[in-house]
Amino acid sequence: MNYSMVKRLILKDWYLQRMAIVASVLGGIGALGVVCIGGQAAFMIGLVLLITALIAVGAHLAIATMVNERKEQTLSFVMSLPISHAEYTLAKLLGTLVIFMFPYLVLVLGSAALFAIPHGIPHGLLPFTTIMAVEILFNTCLMIAVALVTESQGWTVAAIIVGNISINIVGYFVAHLPDIERGMQSSSLMWSPTASIALLVEFALIALMLCLTFFLQSRKRDFV
Amino acid sequence: MMDLTVEFKGVGKHYPHFNLDNIDLVLPTGSIMGFIGANGAGKSTTIRILMGLVHQDLGAVNVLGHSMPSQQAAAKLDIGFVSEDMRLYGAATLEWHMKFVSSMFPKWDQAYADKLVQRFDLKPQQKIKGLSHGQRVKAALLLALARKPRLLVLDEPTTGLDPVARREVLGELMAVLADEDRTILFSSHNTQDVEQISDQITFIDRGRIVDSDDKEAFLDQWRRLRLVLPQHAELPHLPGVIDVGGSGRLPVLTTNRFDPGMLTVCQDLGATVQAVDSMTLEEIFVTSVQHRRETLTV
Repeated sequence: MNYSMVKRLILKDWYLQRMAIVASVLGGIGALGVVCIGGQAAFMIGLVLLITALIAVGAHLAIATMVNERKEQTLSFVMSLPISHAEYTLAKLLGTLVIFMFPYLVLVLGSAALFAIPHGIPHGLLPFTTIMAVEILFNTCLMIAVALVTESQGWTVAAIIVGNISINIVGYFVAHLPDIERGMQSSSLMWSPTASIALLVEFALIALMLCLTFFLQSRKRDFV
Repeated sequence: MMDLTVEFKGVGKHYPHFNLDNIDLVLPTGSIMGFIGANGAGKSTTIRILMGLVHQDLGAVNVLGHSMPSQQAAAKLDIGFVSEDMRLYGAATLEWHMKFVSSMFPKWDQAYADKLVQRFDLKPQQKIKGLSHGQRVKAALLLALARKPRLLVLDEPTTGLDPVARREVLGELMAVLADEDRTILFSSHNTQDVEQISDQITFIDRGRIVDSDDKEAFLDQWRRLRLVLPQHAELPHLPGVIDVGGSGRLPVLTTNRFDPGMLTVCQDLGATVQAVDSMTLEEIFVTSVQHRRETLTV
């Protein structure tokens, strides 16, 4: 594996997606601002905007860096460079995730900071927020994996829809887990084993999905 | 022993509605091969296999001493590839593309790239989406040539260009090639383009190589003989004649193994040889493909 080539491919996508990254960070900061206004309504509106900003940037990256590479016929240009299929796959997965992690971490850390300020969000919401933040990461990995393996706009849009619906379902399900639900009503942090298990399951699913993506890509016989 | 840049041995690729079948192809180092076939004949599939972008189901492919597709990254360090369906990033400038590509090719020659910018009349600061199709082809050629490849693969680079742009691109390409010693594979369905720059010709049709030889050998060995036969005389079978056209007493023979001795044989039969016409590469290609299809049908 030539990591120097992988790095160059990642930097290429970073450069081409720079405007999307800036826009998503600005949108997310705006959403955090709404949360800062205070009150339950502002919190809910801000949260929805925040999740929307993160889903939007994830979906945009999946479409722009992978589906469009084939659709706009730049894939044969990239594949004419001295890279192997494995290096291309690693660059796309790692590159898109690294690009996503930039606005993601800014917004997640921003959200975490809101817990730290006096009269901010009730600390009891931290486990739920953390689980949902990782769920958004999982959702993004799903979109990226589907886009990379299928290179199809239709399948990627389907993955975006499934991911979107699953965020709501997972959010509802997690919010109604007794350990989490009890903690949410508290003003102090109550980290339960249920929260840890939920996070472990999410990370395991992310790892499984990334491995599966590599496996499916390695079986591909036609790249262009 | 001949030094080969490209070698295909019994290569096959199966698709639901198309088969590339038992392709044997060699490209000697330093040669310029014109790869001619109709749309859908298998040119692009063959080239994609050569580049490692499509994996063959059967056979072995060796490019610049590297087995494909497993060693494609090493092979592509010495390959410049431009295809009709290749696009550059519309939102980025040519200058950015040059920087990006140069960072991946140790042999990138910036002075040569700058020279090509001038020769191709391109503006490095202009975004790719603002370029005409002809300028985009030239930009792609520049990016392929300035990496100083040992093998240049051009897959229908002139397709879709208007006649003026096509002439410009070919003219520039020939000027560029004149001072270089590199191996080139140039595919096209346009025989005139290929004839201008190639010294070797390969015809492909319906996924199979029909013929492959030096261009001069093709042009020397293919002839049309216009005869006038005496009354009631029958045209005998002549070796190397692959098509007999015209009417009863005025046959037109097409041969791919022309030998002046054929004229003597005809005259011995009492036939008058009215003309011996040279054939263009396009006529040779069309006749060759039709002959193969007829042979397969029989």
